[in-house]
Amino acid sequence: MSGKMRILTGFVVIAILVVVLGVWIIRGPGPLDFAGGAKVALADNRAGKPTGVPAKLEKASLVERGEYLAKAADCMVCHTKPGEKDYSGGLGFKLPFGTLYSTNITPDKDTGIGNYSDQDFLNAVQRGKRHDGARLYPAMPYTSYTYMTDDDALAVKAYLFSLPAVRAKPPENTLSFPFNQRWAMIVWSAVFNPDTRFTPDTSKSPEWNRGAYLVEALAHCGECHTPRNLGFALDNRKKFGGAITAGWRAFNISSDKATGLGNWSDADLISYLSLGHAPGHGSASGPMGEAVDHSFSQFAPEDIRSIVAYLRSVPPQPSPDLPATTAPVAPASHKDGVTADARGKMLFAGACASCHGWSGESPVSPMATLTGTWAVNDPAATNVAQIVISGTKRHTPDGALSMPAFGEAYTDDEIAAVANYVTARFGTKGSKLTAKDVAELREQTAE
Amino acid sequence: MFMVARIFVELIAVSDPSSKGMHMATTLTINGETTSFDAPPDMPLLWVLRDILGMTGTKFGCGIAQCGACTVHVDGKAVRSCVLPVSAVANRAITTIEHVGSTPAGAKVQKAWLDAEVVQCGYCQSGQIMSAAALLAATPNPDDSDIDAAMAGNICRCGTYVRIREAIKHAANGRQS
Repeated sequence: MSGKMRILTGFVVIAILVVVLGVWIIRGPGPLDFAGGAKVALADNRAGKPTGVPAKLEKASLVERGEYLAKAADCMVCHTKPGEKDYSGGLGFKLPFGTLYSTNITPDKDTGIGNYSDQDFLNAVQRGKRHDGARLYPAMPYTSYTYMTDDDALAVKAYLFSLPAVRAKPPENTLSFPFNQRWAMIVWSAVFNPDTRFTPDTSKSPEWNRGAYLVEALAHCGECHTPRNLGFALDNRKKFGGAITAGWRAFNISSDKATGLGNWSDADLISYLSLGHAPGHGSASGPMGEAVDHSFSQFAPEDIRSIVAYLRSVPPQPSPDLPATTAPVAPASHKDGVTADARGKMLFAGACASCHGWSGESPVSPMATLTGTWAVNDPAATNVAQIVISGTKRHTPDGALSMPAFGEAYTDDEIAAVANYVTARFGTKGSKLTAKDVAELREQTAE
Repeated sequence: MFMVARIFVELIAVSDPSSKGMHMATTLTINGETTSFDAPPDMPLLWVLRDILGMTGTKFGCGIAQCGACTVHVDGKAVRSCVLPVSAVANRAITTIEHVGSTPAGAKVQKAWLDAEVVQCGYCQSGQIMSAAALLAATPNPDDSDIDAAMAGNICRCGTYVRIREAIKHAANGRQS
């Protein structure tokens, strides 16, 4: 080899090493690596059964078990456009580089998944590979579902195939180059999809392992609550530290005491997951509201407890932009307390005060209390603006409480003004939203 | 009103009174009396008042807490009954326009309303009086900004706002017009 060739080869080797190292650094740890205990194959696991359905459904039919698991994996919310038939797809995810539409997963043979074999279904759910061999975009959380067992994934398939076939073709994606190159997802998958099934951790309790399976393989909490890395995959170095997804802020659900769940009681967490509300912590709205309505509220109580046990073990991950403590109750009189801009106050007086009160403690229901919620204590006011735009409806066993959507009635400027007033009055630090910010938030919402 | 109308059109389904839930025996304390009836737990209080109990003094306006016509008092505070599920008001004291005249602030407000001849078409006035009475009970001598803060959520299409403001001040001062 000539001297020149040697130098060139050296450069190539170094370049490859740099790329591999870079990819390795970007990829970071897997979602369960923090636990660190010894892993055992599911078949050899002797302590409890982390996968499958809760005990009361153990003897139920395959379809019934699949229904529970499909709800636990919350397939419906993303695969249903509001107002259309369940699971018929067409919900648009607005990304900075175009819109991606969810697919029809009813058993229709032409437009749905009616022609999928068991292996086709496993390929899609666990590997992000479509029936025709094309790759799925990771908006479909197959890097989470990959931890699902074959049995559980096929139970979900049996449930989906028990539903009426709906003929509905979602719109074509509008992604721009280079994101419209599906083949590139082969590389993405190779780097970011572990393509591995769940393995229990023998150093942990059966309850923890069940919780880990529910949270990571089914409920895919990290897809919204974990920030993303340079490759748009989950950055588990900041596991559950919170992130913005589809224009809504998914708050910190790590065990951080100040800004995560560290100071929530078990009762608070159980209540929030199963009812969408915990006293003093506000009510679930937006995507989390949907997750509660269609998924968590249907979980067996022991599964909710397992999720809580698992969440408690996730290392603390501070959110430095949030205050260490949420603001106390605001003064009862509109005259006292922070005086933000007059326009925001006028809007609040006319449209908001009758339900939320001037103190932030609702005269109507604890579910409408603003005091103590992260939404009003977030200086970016992201979720305050979103709830004003799209409203919210909280279902409980005693009935539903709803807030109307103001997005069509108020201008971006008005929504910014009221969000700035609300965060200043009821939160720690007032937001500085502009009409442009509100317009951008509207743009990001899935529809 | 255009604003409210648009929200109303969008959200009429939210306050659909034909609730599907099962009926439950419910007991409420309304105007000092205990009343029992069967209703779905998510039925708004306004529907209970008007359709089940026949107390039609409280009006339906927008159905989404944006006009104030349905205002009642719960534990002395003015709330919109059209968005308030009955399950949320068990064990709380409810006062309606039929009874507010027996509270000191309510009596003053009603008298001032008659003296100032506030009412034009009258549809919103039950709600206006309920909000004004709650304001005076909490703030016996309100200034203009207090009146704005308490009354901004009560809309009057006839535009009686000037007379409403005057009447509240008269009620506060105990003056006769």
